[in-house]
Amino acid sequence: MTRFGLVLLVLAMASALYLVHTQYESRRLYVEMERAQAQARRLEVDNKGLQIEKRSQATPLRVEKLAKERLQMRTATPAITEYVSQKGSAVTAPRP
Amino acid sequence: MSKSVRYSASPLLASKTPVWRSKFIVAGIAVAFGALAGRAAYIQVFGNDFFQRQGEVRFTRTLELPAYRGRILDRNGLILASSVPAPSIWAIPEDLDATPGQRAELARLLGMPLAELTKKLGNEDKNFVWLKRQVDAPVAKQIAALGIKGVYERKEYKRQYPEGETTAHVVGFTDVEDRGQEGIELTFNKELAGKPGSRRVIKDRLGRVVEDMGEQVPPVEGQDIQLSLDSKVQFVAYQKLRDAVTQHKAKAGSVVVLDTITGEVLALANYPSYVPDRRQNLTGEQLRNRAITDTFEPGSTMKPITVGMALEAGRITPRTIIETGPGRFSIGGFTISDTHDYGRLTVEGVIQKSSNVGALKIAQKMTPHEMWNTYSALGYGQKPQIQFPGAVTGRLRPWKTWKPVEQATMSYGYGLSASLFQMAHSYTSFAHDGQVIPATMLKSSEPATGVKVFSAENARAVRHMLQMAAAPGGTGPLAQTIGYSVGGKSGTAHKQVGKGYASNKYRAWFTGMAPIESPRIIVAVMIDEPSAGRYFGGQVAAPVFSEVVQQTLRMMGVQPDISVKPQIVTQAVAESF
Repeated sequence: MTRFGLVLLVLAMASALYLVHTQYESRRLYVEMERAQAQARRLEVDNKGLQIEKRSQATPLRVEKLAKERLQMRTATPAITEYVSQKGSAVTAPRP
Repeated sequence: MSKSVRYSASPLLASKTPVWRSKFIVAGIAVAFGALAGRAAYIQVFGNDFFQRQGEVRFTRTLELPAYRGRILDRNGLILASSVPAPSIWAIPEDLDATPGQRAELARLLGMPLAELTKKLGNEDKNFVWLKRQVDAPVAKQIAALGIKGVYERKEYKRQYPEGETTAHVVGFTDVEDRGQEGIELTFNKELAGKPGSRRVIKDRLGRVVEDMGEQVPPVEGQDIQLSLDSKVQFVAYQKLRDAVTQHKAKAGSVVVLDTITGEVLALANYPSYVPDRRQNLTGEQLRNRAITDTFEPGSTMKPITVGMALEAGRITPRTIIETGPGRFSIGGFTISDTHDYGRLTVEGVIQKSSNVGALKIAQKMTPHEMWNTYSALGYGQKPQIQFPGAVTGRLRPWKTWKPVEQATMSYGYGLSASLFQMAHSYTSFAHDGQVIPATMLKSSEPATGVKVFSAENARAVRHMLQMAAAPGGTGPLAQTIGYSVGGKSGTAHKQVGKGYASNKYRAWFTGMAPIESPRIIVAVMIDEPSAGRYFGGQVAAPVFSEVVQQTLRMMGVQPDISVKPQIVTQAVAESF
């Protein structure tokens, strides 16, 4: 009887310790997940920030300035544009 | 000594303790256990809620899950406004512990004089003070790197507007709390803002979240708003307008570009403008979205409408002869005059030459009620149905109060007022086969259906007149552009100052459409107080119209509808010498 009691006691102790361990493990993993999620969100925000930065480097104002100054381009007009009609054949606008 | 407890077999150790003492101890312990059990029952059963709550207060926290404010996009998905992290720096003056060197560095990073920082931190009674709201993220990083005790940052977001002053009036801006204050940011604040969520969590000693408690309320992210605006068209409109305002030493100006098929606003530019990220020292002059909030008498722009309604009522045909000689007409004690005596003009000629006398004679074939009905149907005196704050109604008095002279002046655009946007919008009736279509700031791919005001045939007839008015021999030949046929009407007016008209202050505008046979866009240009000599709409506003039309149609991929050769020859000559 005493021996059976001891076995039960050991089992109960083991189970209790295992519970503590699992709880600890679950919290540890949770913290890790939490951190990963925070990082995901931060990266998302960074991405948005970079997108807007990219956009502000490509505003029409800047593009036109660079095209004119650095690449010596000029604004297209219908006079120097060739139009190809969609049905396939004729070029409708005359060339300069 | 008869009754006593024996603790041992040895007579030497025989105790003399009476039995009641041990019973007393047992009873005492039993009572203590009973008290413990009672307390346990009280805590766990009766007072459970209270203690549970107290426990939670000590280790659970409610975290707010911020909702990201939606972006504002143009019709091609390019960003016009978006939120970026901008931490706010705050401090607890009491806890602050910084060396003089650190303080100086902090002041430098915050961009404020050391004295101001010292003053902010001087009041030790306060346990919270903002040092600076919404600093740039890299600056915040540097401040954090200083590691000053008592200085903290709070996560916040601020709006950035990559297109800057070009789209400032349309997009608007938000305040420091991220609430829309102007423009689309204000109109669609609810949709853009979203709704923050929340979650209950357990935090450990180190402040890490270790467990979720109960339900989460996920944040509702703000919606993106896609506008009908095309940032390239907007840029061209703004740029050309700015150049014209500067060139003519004008006070201000506006441009509206409408798509005549969908009713979308492709561009809405005003000058002077402002950079939405830097809003210190802003004046009302810069802030005002003139195209929508400023009204003026539409002047000659109304003549095509007068002709349109007379055609629709069957009182005239485009070939009807109107006697405008001798260039003057007296009515109700007022004399209305033309700049020249044009003699006998066809109805087409009245528009082409912009004859006031001709317009009023056509109007006399109509009743005030008929005129009022058409004006109202075209949106005059009505609040524009557009998703924009502060759109004005303009003035159109009830027809019953019109005097004959007022009916006459209204035929050529005086005695009523409208915004540039309303004028551009009313011209959709000519461009969209007689239907005035609803305008929208939001992207739409469906062709709009509107209210029929004129028949398709009459709309075409008026378009033809507009084409004549914008051709050599008309009032706005400078509206001509390479490759595309245009039609439109210029307008010039003395500015109203107080009760009368100022003799040396003008307002010039041009409203028209292209290509004229099947219009794709309406462009309206207004220049306020041009004062570099020239001031007629045909001289000041028409060239802006010309450039905006050409660039816009080219960007929309509309094929030129007229031969470009003659213009090329003249251009080659002009450019090489």
